[in-house]
Amino acid sequence: MALSLTCPICGLRNGYEFRFGGADKGPRPLEEGLTPAQWCAYAHLNTCVAGVQLEWWNHKDGCGTWFVARRDTRSNREVPKEDVQ
Amino acid sequence: MLNQRKRLWDAPPLKSHYDAVIIGGGLHGLATAYFLATRHDIRDIAVIEKRYIGYGGAGRNTAIVRANQRTQENVPLYKEALDLWPVLTRELDFNLMFYNCGNLNLAHSEAALKAMRLQTATAQFHGVDSQLVTPAECKALIPALDISDRPSYPILGGMFHPPGGIVRHDAVVWGLAKGASRKGVRIHQGVEVTGIGVQKGKVDSVETTLGRISTPRVLNAAGAYSAALANRLMGICLPISVLTIQAMVTQPLKPLLDHVISSGGYHIYANQTLKGEIATGAHMDRWPNYTTQTSAHYIKHQAEALTDLLPCMRGVKFMRTWAGLADMTPDMAPIMTGNDPVEGYYQDCGWGYFGFKSCTVAGKYMAQYMATGSCPDILLPFDQKRFEAHRLMGETAALVSYSADN
Ligand SMILES: Cc1cc2nc3c(=O)[nH]c(=O)nc-3n(C[C@H](O)[C@H](O)[C@H](O)COP(=O)(O)OP(=O)(O)OC[C@H]3O[C@@H](n4cnc5c(N)ncnc54)[C@H](O)[C@@H]3O)c2cc1C
Ligand SMILES: [Zn+2]
Repeated sequence: MALSLTCPICGLRNGYEFRFGGADKGPRPLEEGLTPAQWCAYAHLNTCVAGVQLEWWNHKDGCGTWFVARRDTRSNREVPKEDVQ
Repeated sequence: MLNQRKRLWDAPPLKSHYDAVIIGGGLHGLATAYFLATRHDIRDIAVIEKRYIGYGGAGRNTAIVRANQRTQENVPLYKEALDLWPVLTRELDFNLMFYNCGNLNLAHSEAALKAMRLQTATAQFHGVDSQLVTPAECKALIPALDISDRPSYPILGGMFHPPGGIVRHDAVVWGLAKGASRKGVRIHQGVEVTGIGVQKGKVDSVETTLGRISTPRVLNAAGAYSAALANRLMGICLPISVLTIQAMVTQPLKPLLDHVISSGGYHIYANQTLKGEIATGAHMDRWPNYTTQTSAHYIKHQAEALTDLLPCMRGVKFMRTWAGLADMTPDMAPIMTGNDPVEGYYQDCGWGYFGFKSCTVAGKYMAQYMATGSCPDILLPFDQKRFEAHRLMGETAALVSYSADN
């Protein structure tokens, strides 16, 4: 599939070098007062957006860094920051 | 007279009210409509399909059916589904081309054999025919298999499941559409559902590109699109990741594969179609997306894996590749719910790449759910609340990292 991603360290690389790490759901919720529903939402639930989403990626077969990318799930294209409202 | 062909289903205009609206003219939507009409006497039903019936996974799957899953909640459901094919073939008066050639699942490690031991024990407990076989028995079933220690992952044994096999997937779509239409179900193609109206906690209408329909119940059976739809229309978040899954067929060959074979180690399954092609899949790119693109990466993988297991296939050409979408849950088991959080809203999704073999039984019980308003016992474990309760089903353990979660 035509996926290329820009690693902040290695630059533009073939998508198969990366591991998807889930949609960016913000910081991990604090343990204190955490309800099962909140944890479930953080661990499992997705909006499954058909459009641009912020998401975590790991350059698994490269430098190993984790970073956040913006990708359009309808085209697999990375979207530059300035194009996201 | 003889040449006068009749359409299998009618295309009447959209009405402004239906007793039930079904979103998605895929396998699950059509099956639910069929069972509502034939078993529960609810016939005033609209199946609303954005493209054409069979556009989604229904027309893209590799048509494998089997009932050798891992858990006690899942096996009975899939067993009933398997038993339904001959029944429906008669009932629909439509040849579904059920070919129960059996499925041979290969093990390439002690761990895989151990998992199969558990799986066959579960199957036998539930009255499903499934047994462990030695490498020599694998070879007896499929003489073209290389059971020497030459392949990268030598075959250590397998699990043979005689009652499974292949069903013609398009025939299921057409047969169910015909059967439902004969009972009065209206199939509206080229119409998109764009909204669900809720009044005082109850569904009261559905918005479509052709206008508003009033209805007390709606089923979201939009397949891989259902999670995004649930989110957009109802604000519901589901534990689903939508991944692209690819498949391909080779040029037609003389008979060489009498059973469906699959291998977790090689990440591959294959069967020979009645035309002679080797239909093989299925790989998933492990990031959510809504494209149906195929990739050279997987064609190469598929060729390497196939020729390692079946050396006689070297030089055979792939003729065609395609892809579809699979809505994966973290435990590889589906989500079937109703009246939650809104009365009259039903949902049947999260089938991943198991939604073909299960469609008739899911339709049967979702129809019962929608007709009576209460969840049939067999569907109780499939409530989405299991994720919150940390009670995931163990369907995933037999598989290698397939979902986006691992
Ligand atoms: C390559 C591949 C191989 C597979 N192999 C197998 C297999 O061997 N065995 C097996 O059991 N399963 C297999 N599957 C999985 C199976 O095909 C799916 O699980 C199944 O099709 C799901 O059925 P469904 O009715 O829920 O959805 P679908 O068949 O996808 O139907 C959903 C329909 O909803 C429509 N829709 C979407 N949004 C809207 C809207 N807003 N309004 C109206 N309509 C809408 C779509 O156009 C679509 O027609 C495979 C899938 C793929 C892609
Ligand atoms: Zn890098």
